[in-house]
Amino acid sequence: MITSKDFKRIDDYLYEFPKSYRPDMRVPARFYSEPELLQGALGDQCLEQLINTATMPGIVKYALAMPDIHQGYGFPIGGVIATELPDGVISPGGVGYDVNCGVRLLASRLDREELAPYINDLATALDNNCPSGVGKGGSVKLRPGELDKVLHDGAHWAKERGYATAADLEHTEEEGRLDGANASLVSKRAKERGADQVGTLGAGNHFIEVDVVDETFDEVAADRMGLFPGQVVVQIHCGSRGVGHQICTDYVKRFQQSVQQYGIKLPDRELVCAPLSSPEGQEYLAAMKAAANYAFANRQVLVYHIRRSFEQALAGKVRDYHLRQVYDIAHNMAKIEEHTVDGRQLRVCVHRKGATRAFGPGSPVLPDDYRDVGQPVLVPGSMGTASWVLLGTAGSMEQTFGSTCHGAGRTMSRAKAKQKIWGGDLRQQLEDEGIAVRAGSLPGLAEEAPIAYKDVDKVVEVVHGAGIAKKVARLVPIAVIKG
Amino acid sequence: MPDQDFEIVEHTADWAIRVYGRDLRHLLLNAARGMTSLMAADLEAIPLDTERSLEWEAFDDETLLVDWLSELAYLAESEGLVFRDYALAEVAPRHWRAVVRGGPAAELQKHIKAVTYHNLEITKTAEGLQVTVVLDA
Repeated sequence: MITSKDFKRIDDYLYEFPKSYRPDMRVPARFYSEPELLQGALGDQCLEQLINTATMPGIVKYALAMPDIHQGYGFPIGGVIATELPDGVISPGGVGYDVNCGVRLLASRLDREELAPYINDLATALDNNCPSGVGKGGSVKLRPGELDKVLHDGAHWAKERGYATAADLEHTEEEGRLDGANASLVSKRAKERGADQVGTLGAGNHFIEVDVVDETFDEVAADRMGLFPGQVVVQIHCGSRGVGHQICTDYVKRFQQSVQQYGIKLPDRELVCAPLSSPEGQEYLAAMKAAANYAFANRQVLVYHIRRSFEQALAGKVRDYHLRQVYDIAHNMAKIEEHTVDGRQLRVCVHRKGATRAFGPGSPVLPDDYRDVGQPVLVPGSMGTASWVLLGTAGSMEQTFGSTCHGAGRTMSRAKAKQKIWGGDLRQQLEDEGIAVRAGSLPGLAEEAPIAYKDVDKVVEVVHGAGIAKKVARLVPIAVIKG
Repeated sequence: MPDQDFEIVEHTADWAIRVYGRDLRHLLLNAARGMTSLMAADLEAIPLDTERSLEWEAFDDETLLVDWLSELAYLAESEGLVFRDYALAEVAPRHWRAVVRGGPAAELQKHIKAVTYHNLEITKTAEGLQVTVVLDA
């Protein structure tokens, strides 16, 4: 059992396990936290999982975890590592089953008062138009062979089908398509699982939320993103559905033997990996990119359904019901990037599992309108609580391979949350707080109760205080749609 | 041998089941029962009107277990079918066949997205075998 005697505090927000803590560690393990969040982290096995990631072959600098760290499988959720090319490893478990799970933010020109009379109509329209829940298929019928196009082209496929605008693509991480995806490396079963799920939310912690901008903290950046206090915005949280789950399953199984072949010893079988220079490492990367593209397409089709819902519920009733895309980010992904490590420019594979890319000002991969302020980072809170819009910083580039937190992070198991609260009571409580709720499953709602999560405001205080992200705007919910 | 065939154990983000069995066949059976108990609120209400034959092989016992559970999770996701009656037989070392019976669930209460290898190790106990399986759900 890890205790606070096992690590040292580097500064107000940063803690470190030295490399000497365990003989199989290749680098120190660092995590961002503060005393209250730290107590939660000590309550499960997440810090042990962080230390396990410090054993990955080819890892450079540190194994890292963000303040929303909690127990996952293999990697902790909130974990970030970078492995050096060409022979460092890539690990499917370091990305997770929901490849390119991510968040998208849309901004309206409406303010809260103008929407208020119609919020229930809007919530119902969103619930009707955006398929959600276990095993629910989507409204998009793919033509034979078209799934391969989704896997290769991501959100660009969606634009060709009329589900996206050019501005949507410009304001999406990687413009909604990772180059190098290869659909032929995606199994038949993965394709079967994804065939009817384009444009679906799924279940679990995925949601669509209508929010109001509660407060802005950086006027220049908020203005650049078109955000202002009182404004109605929409968040989407979902990923690559069955395609990503199956691709991860397929490659975690395959890599069980790869680690034996390459003589890689690991403390947990879920960490299995292969050198990036190996055929199977390259094949996983290309298959993972295909799943990531599917997720970009999935969120884009949901945007289409959301815009349709706004039109249905609000046309003729408000001045302007249109939605503009602010940004879209991934928080489960492995990316080949260049970073400066101990004064050397290295090509590395950055694994972010439950962590968000957070590139600072000046990054050439950012869209023109954000390049001088930094990359928007979208941090959803737990259901019924605040969410945040942040910016990547020079500090995140220096400290965390351009990464920051991804959400509130769980502190309580789903089983315990269901014992503590009944879904019907929770729905009533949220409605009493003025939040319209549309949920497919009341037990599912209870699992996502705010008491099961850390305080997102505290998580954001840590990343802001540590300089690995910067506050731009705080959002509060007025409608939640869940599977 | 513990009284129960399986138990649900605490896991912060997902679900985990600890499974017991006097031999590998019973471990596989009880693991399926444990996972299925998460999928449907009332297992007895699931009809036994659908039968499927499965066959799979793997290079070690843990992979055999993951593949077996993954197959049942896939059938639930893709066809809404929950199976609660299993006839299992080993036809060769690490090569198994199963005939499973069940039917459509009125509502799937849990979507098992994946069966993980997290700390997965089948261990021998005085009474037989034991394993803890973490499910992404």
